[in-house]
Amino acid sequence: MPSKLTVVVSQGQSASPIKRKLEEDIVAGLLFERGVEVTVIPHLYDLAPDGTGMLCLQSIPGDMVVLSWLYPRAAHWTLDRNRIHGRVGTTLLVADEEDEDESGDADDEDKHRVADDRPAPNRTIYCIDLRAANDAADFLTEVRRIAAETSVKTVSLDLMGWIKGQPKPDQLDRYLHAPNGGGDRAPATAPVPPPPAIPAAVPDLPLTAGSAPVAGTSETSAPAPMRIDEPTARRWYPVIDYSRCTNCLECLDFCLFGVYGISAAEAILVEQPDNCRKGCPACSRVCPANAIIFPQHKSPAIAGSANGEAGGLKIDLSKLFGAPDPLQVAVLERDVELVAAGKDAVGMSVGIPKRQPGKSAGTKDDLDRLMDQLDDLDL
Amino acid sequence: MSEAQAFAMGKFLAPVPTDRRYAKNHMWAVPQADGFRFGFSAYAVRLLQDVYFLEWSVDAGANLVERQAIGAIESSKAESELFAPIGGRLIRFNERLLSDPSGINVDNYGEGWLFEMAGGEESLLSSAEYLVHLEASWAVAQRTIKGQINEE
Repeated sequence: MPSKLTVVVSQGQSASPIKRKLEEDIVAGLLFERGVEVTVIPHLYDLAPDGTGMLCLQSIPGDMVVLSWLYPRAAHWTLDRNRIHGRVGTTLLVADEEDEDESGDADDEDKHRVADDRPAPNRTIYCIDLRAANDAADFLTEVRRIAAETSVKTVSLDLMGWIKGQPKPDQLDRYLHAPNGGGDRAPATAPVPPPPAIPAAVPDLPLTAGSAPVAGTSETSAPAPMRIDEPTARRWYPVIDYSRCTNCLECLDFCLFGVYGISAAEAILVEQPDNCRKGCPACSRVCPANAIIFPQHKSPAIAGSANGEAGGLKIDLSKLFGAPDPLQVAVLERDVELVAAGKDAVGMSVGIPKRQPGKSAGTKDDLDRLMDQLDDLDL
Repeated sequence: MSEAQAFAMGKFLAPVPTDRRYAKNHMWAVPQADGFRFGFSAYAVRLLQDVYFLEWSVDAGANLVERQAIGAIESSKAESELFAPIGGRLIRFNERLLSDPSGINVDNYGEGWLFEMAGGEESLLSSAEYLVHLEASWAVAQRTIKGQINEE
């Protein structure tokens, strides 16, 4: 039997009535959706690592859709740091400024990424930004599309499991050339998921509802989503996108508050997230791979927008009006936090990356020359 | 604003009054009893055009380092973060602009001032030095603006 698709709705931090209404409209619409189980959690980023919400998410076995007020990258890697791994599912519902241009992380394709060393997850997680549309119907349509996509995958995997992975040639031949269709069409004609068991309301023991319902146990009570009411406080910490991170450890050198550490496998990790200084995104600015996400930062590039740049239509005059470069900004931000913590400012003296030390001077193009001119001008 | 020289931005002449000093980020500075009053030069206002949003991210009384981000501005044509012209203490913001930032367009050298700061004046330029700075940066400014427009 194909496993159910779990849809997680992560609520906004504020009790904004507009946001709440969208969340609840989606939940209400999904309750009667076949093969879909709905879980409502507080804001994903604010969940405690060992809290009920995270434990519930960790217990979800199969493919999952996560709707949150976060950029999809931010949501995906927030789950990942809590040992909820999955392949990145492609959603067709994206916010306007988030085009599908993923070139932001594809520029140095030969570089080795931390994620390359990991075993490939055996399920897919689809993260959708609740800011991508204003109408619950758009989200319901997308969940239905994903449900169809994942049930096809599940059925074909089940069939391969059924033939035990070691089919004799004639077995395979019979399967592939079955008279009622087969081969590529097999998944499409495979038995459709059984009629939905109405999600049982589990008022007292929410965690047990994460497992697949046993046939016959579903009471015919009114459908209700599983709701996790974990009290949360607003948190602030970096989230690493390991599909971009090259383990260069510049963040470890730069941060002087002991947020970063090294795992047993010698990969960078956010070891003490709550040491992080609220509002400070400095390490994100020094990361050469743009791999460090602060999901609550106002700049889309730092908050995990896929294209890495704020896509405004207006001319940005910041450079002409005296904007320092990102490294200078990062050093300033770090100094402000050091002083606020009763320590001395260190300026450029500690943990500053040596950029492109081995980069040969290639021929300069127009943009290079323009940047040189801007740099020389001391605007 | 007694006397003024002017800088030609194409056909537009941006006045540069000689009775005050200037920061490289295109703000003017006039000494006050307790520091300097700062505002946008005509050059900056011409680049921005009609201002309709101004926001400060620091509070009065904050100690700032030079070029620290202190706010943001948005106009019909452009947007920019704003940065401290000098290091020092921010004394007060022009309260009138908070409800209606268009005062910047109406009287940028007078009632449309931005804020007052106490701090070092070492990095401030004379009006003559500011004109040289404008001359040197005009080509790049044009290319920055046109380049961004062409990319759209």
